[in-house]
Amino acid sequence: MLRDITLGQYYNTKSVIHDLDPRTKILGTMVYMVSLFAFNSFWTYLIAFAALCTVIVLSKVPVRFMLRGMKAIFLFLTITVLYNLFLTQGDTIFSFWIFNVTIQGLKQAILMFFRLTFLVVGTSILTLTTTPSNLTDGLESLMHPLKWIRIPVAEIAMMMSIALRFIPVLTEETDKIMRAQKARGADFDNKNLFKRIKSYVPILVPLFISAFRRANDLATAMEARAYRGGDGRTKMKPLKYKAGDWIAYTSMLLYGITALAITVLINFQTFMLKA
Amino acid sequence: MNKLVKTQDVTYEYVRRDDDGNVENIVTAVDDVSISIEDGQMVAIIGHNGSGKSTLAKHLNALLTPTEGTVWVDGIDTSDESRVWDIRQKAGMVLQNPDNQIVGQVVEEDVGFGCENLGIKTEEIWERVVDALKSVDMYEYRGSSPNKLSGGQKQRVSIAGIIAMKPKCIILDEPTAMLDPKGRKEVIDAITRLNKEENVTIILITHNMEEIIGVDRIFVMDKGKLVMEGTPREVFSEVDKLTELGLTVPEATLIGKKLYDSGLPISLPVLTKEELVSEIGRARLSKFR
Ligand SMILES: Nc1ncnc2c1ncn2[C@@H]1O[C@H](COP(=O)(O)OP(=O)(O)OP(=O)(O)O)[C@@H](O)[C@H]1O
Ligand SMILES: [Mg+2]
Repeated sequence: MLRDITLGQYYNTKSVIHDLDPRTKILGTMVYMVSLFAFNSFWTYLIAFAALCTVIVLSKVPVRFMLRGMKAIFLFLTITVLYNLFLTQGDTIFSFWIFNVTIQGLKQAILMFFRLTFLVVGTSILTLTTTPSNLTDGLESLMHPLKWIRIPVAEIAMMMSIALRFIPVLTEETDKIMRAQKARGADFDNKNLFKRIKSYVPILVPLFISAFRRANDLATAMEARAYRGGDGRTKMKPLKYKAGDWIAYTSMLLYGITALAITVLINFQTFMLKA
Repeated sequence: MNKLVKTQDVTYEYVRRDDDGNVENIVTAVDDVSISIEDGQMVAIIGHNGSGKSTLAKHLNALLTPTEGTVWVDGIDTSDESRVWDIRQKAGMVLQNPDNQIVGQVVEEDVGFGCENLGIKTEEIWERVVDALKSVDMYEYRGSSPNKLSGGQKQRVSIAGIIAMKPKCIILDEPTAMLDPKGRKEVIDAITRLNKEENVTIILITHNMEEIIGVDRIFVMDKGKLVMEGTPREVFSEVDKLTELGLTVPEATLIGKKLYDSGLPISLPVLTKEELVSEIGRARLSKFR
């Protein structure tokens, strides 16, 4: 039952997007996120949409996998859209009860809807096409400069990858303990939330004890294998940019420039109209 | 042959302190132990629970340094802090629980972990990882997640991770304790092959006597002290003493001893089933004669 939880929903297939360096993908995602917050016109969103579609097609990941993330933010999305729709001041289109729907509100609501949708789909492409260990490597490499302000980047990355390695082990263990407690009559399906929470205590205690024992063992094993922190370590799988990455960076640049040009153009137009 | 691992009068005390830093109690886990292991040997350390085997083992790759006495690994004193990493490279260690010693998310990444720590170049790491995985027969699993392997397979991956560091000596602390018979055999076969073919010194800690019939030397520990030492034949000929120490002997040895006690004139000790069969045959023949 708990086994279904998979962290990082990597979708295993071969595609140009999967082949990209994780750094490229992380930076690309960041550029895209920034662009979504900077854009606010129909034409720029059309470009953002086109870009998203291109990447989705190239990634060969079925769209339903990307929409999965939408479920998680469904409530948030609805509230945001309704909030914008009903509570924005401006030229009223129609009104009922205490609500005023305005042109500005409608525009804002639509913008918000697309902004959040694109955001979720865009970031899920990153996690769908990059293995967790690749993602950690990419983050480590990108955060490398932080070493100069004494942030132990390599060690943090090691912690992340160990956490990823042990999540399935610990979920399996939780499952085992839960079954053991159920056999002794524990009730995890009680309607009473308080009782249900209470029934989880006998799971957490053995789980913590075992986690600490594991951590202790793992530390010994790592030390026995000559681990001494990030300094002086070499990489078995060093990150290397390939031709595809430069194409991707160029595309990002073009995307940015086009969007900027359009924004300037639109603003220029409205400026001229006003004048 | 030179002594690869040598301990001289080693004593180790676990000191427990209360919150104020006062000594609460002292457990002498290893008590005045001197052993020496030659290059290329395969030896076993046995003893019942809490006899100090693991504590001693941790001294052999500088995870612990003795309270008193000295440990040398390939001539290096383990209390020389500047050489700790050399020692860890020369003497690798495999632990009991296969789940708690795999660091990598993919088999090959885990095998390369020790090499990365040693600062070996990328291309060489790959060569070593491939060789190591082949030598424990796990090459075809190089791309798998460790979570999907059986216990025996995980343990062989851990061994491969040590082999890739090219140690002279591998210490295995109850590597088969959590495995089923099939997994045990896989692991024991892998380390025996390493010893015979690659001439890696093996120090095996175990409770399973069947596993150590073929080793060069057995050390028996009790309450932190080294109480017996010798070839399997020498050690297993003292069934009564071993029983007193809370240890068992191989099945064939026990049956042989019982038969001998009940009057069958077989020569003790018997170590394997085959030996037992032929001894019984011989004894019966001589009886009829
Ligand atoms: N970290 C520790 N702190 C305090 N005492 C310890 C510690 N580890 C072991 N001991 C004690 O040292 C003694 C020897 O322990 P050790 O683990 O070396 O035994 P062992 O022979 O490996 O036993 P087993 O067969 O159960 O693995 C035991 O009495 C144990 O209680
Ligand atoms: Mg032990």
